[in-house]
Amino acid sequence: MVKKQAPPPKRGNPKAFYLVLAAVAVIGAYFLYMQTRGGSSAASATTIDPNVPLPKAEGYLLGNADAPVQVVEYADFECPVCAYFATITEPDIRKRLVESGQISLRYMHYHIASHPNTWQASMAAACANEQGKFWEMHDAIYNAQDKWAGIATRKPKGVLKDLAGQVGLNVSQWETCFDTQKYQPQLLASQQDAEKRQVRGTPTFIIGSKMIDHNMSYDQFKAYVDTAMASAKAAAPNDSAAKKGT
Amino acid sequence: MSKRQLVALLALLGLFIAIYLTLYKTGVIAELACTSGSCETVQMSRWATFLGLPVAAWGIVFYVALLGVALAGLQGSLADSRAVSVALVAVTGWGVIFSAWLTYLELFVIHAICQWCVVSAILVTIAFAISWLDLRDHRMSDTAVSA
Repeated sequence: MVKKQAPPPKRGNPKAFYLVLAAVAVIGAYFLYMQTRGGSSAASATTIDPNVPLPKAEGYLLGNADAPVQVVEYADFECPVCAYFATITEPDIRKRLVESGQISLRYMHYHIASHPNTWQASMAAACANEQGKFWEMHDAIYNAQDKWAGIATRKPKGVLKDLAGQVGLNVSQWETCFDTQKYQPQLLASQQDAEKRQVRGTPTFIIGSKMIDHNMSYDQFKAYVDTAMASAKAAAPNDSAAKKGT
Repeated sequence: MSKRQLVALLALLGLFIAIYLTLYKTGVIAELACTSGSCETVQMSRWATFLGLPVAAWGIVFYVALLGVALAGLQGSLADSRAVSVALVAVTGWGVIFSAWLTYLELFVIHAICQWCVVSAILVTIAFAISWLDLRDHRMSDTAVSA
C-alpha cells in the first residue's frame, strides 16, 4: 500500500498579502500620526470665547503678571501626562520663556474623576502656597507621583507630608491646613472655572486666544507663544507708538 | 492567505498597539483611547516598566521580531523550513506566557484592565495558535517526505 503524500503547506498569494500588509501599515501609521497631533489638526487648538476673561486672582502664578503672553495651564496632579509635562518640558519653558519675561504661567486645578488622590495632592500644594512654596511643592508632587498616586496608595497623606518637609515647609502648619481642608473652596472654584471653559482633560493650556487640549513639546509650546505674541503686538500698535512718544 | 502571512499581519497589528502605548508612556500622546478608563491606571503602575524600559517598548521589540521571523518564513527556501515554524512557535509562545503574566497582574494586582493590553494578548494568542498549526503542517509534510 502506498502512503498518500501530505500536501506542502499553503503559501498564499504574495501580492494580495503584501497589499493587505501595506494597507494595514498605512492605516496604523495614520492613526498614530493623528494621535500624536492630539486628534485632528482642527481639534488640537480651539479658539476660545473672548467673553470669558482669563482668571486674574485664581490659581498660582509664575512670572510677571503683566507679561505680554499669559499662559494658563489646567492640570491634575495625578495625571501622568501632566507629570511628564511638568518634569520634562516645563523646566525649559520656565528658563527660556518665564524667566525672560515673555510669558507668565498660571497653574489651575482640574481634577479628573478617576484619580482618587488628586484632590489631596491639590490640597497639599494649596497649603504649600500658603507658605509661599507652591511651585516647589508642585515640582515635588509631580516628581513623586508614582509614590502617592492612587495606584500606589489609598492613603497619600504620609508621602505628601514627607514632601512638605523636603521642600522646607513648616510641616505642622501645613498639616493643620491639609487636615482642615482649608482651601477646598479655592479648589472647587478652580474646578468650576475649568468646567465653565469646557476643559475636558489634562493638561489643557490657554495661550493667547487658543485652547490646546493636549501635551506639547517645547517647540510646539513656543510656536503658540510666538503666535500669541504676534497677535498681541498687532492688536495694540497704537499703544506701543504712544509709549514711544512719551 | 497562508498561516505565516496571517502571523505577520497579526504581528503588524500588535506592533502598532505597542507603539501607541509606548508613545503614551513617554508622553508623546496625551490621552489613550480607552473606554474603561483603566488604561491609564495600568500604564502608570510600577508593573508598566520592565528592566528599565516601558513594557510597551518591549512589546515593540517582540512584535518586530515576530514580524521579521514571519516575513523571513515567506521567502524562497525558508518557505518550507520547519525551523521557521519552530521559531514562530517559540516566539509566540513566549509572548503568550508574558501576556498571561501581564493579564494576571492587571486582574489580581493592579485591579484594572487596559483594553489595548487585552487586544495585544488576544493577538499573541491567535498568532501562537496559527504558528502551532503551521508547525503541525510542516511536521506532517516532513513525515510524508521521509516516508
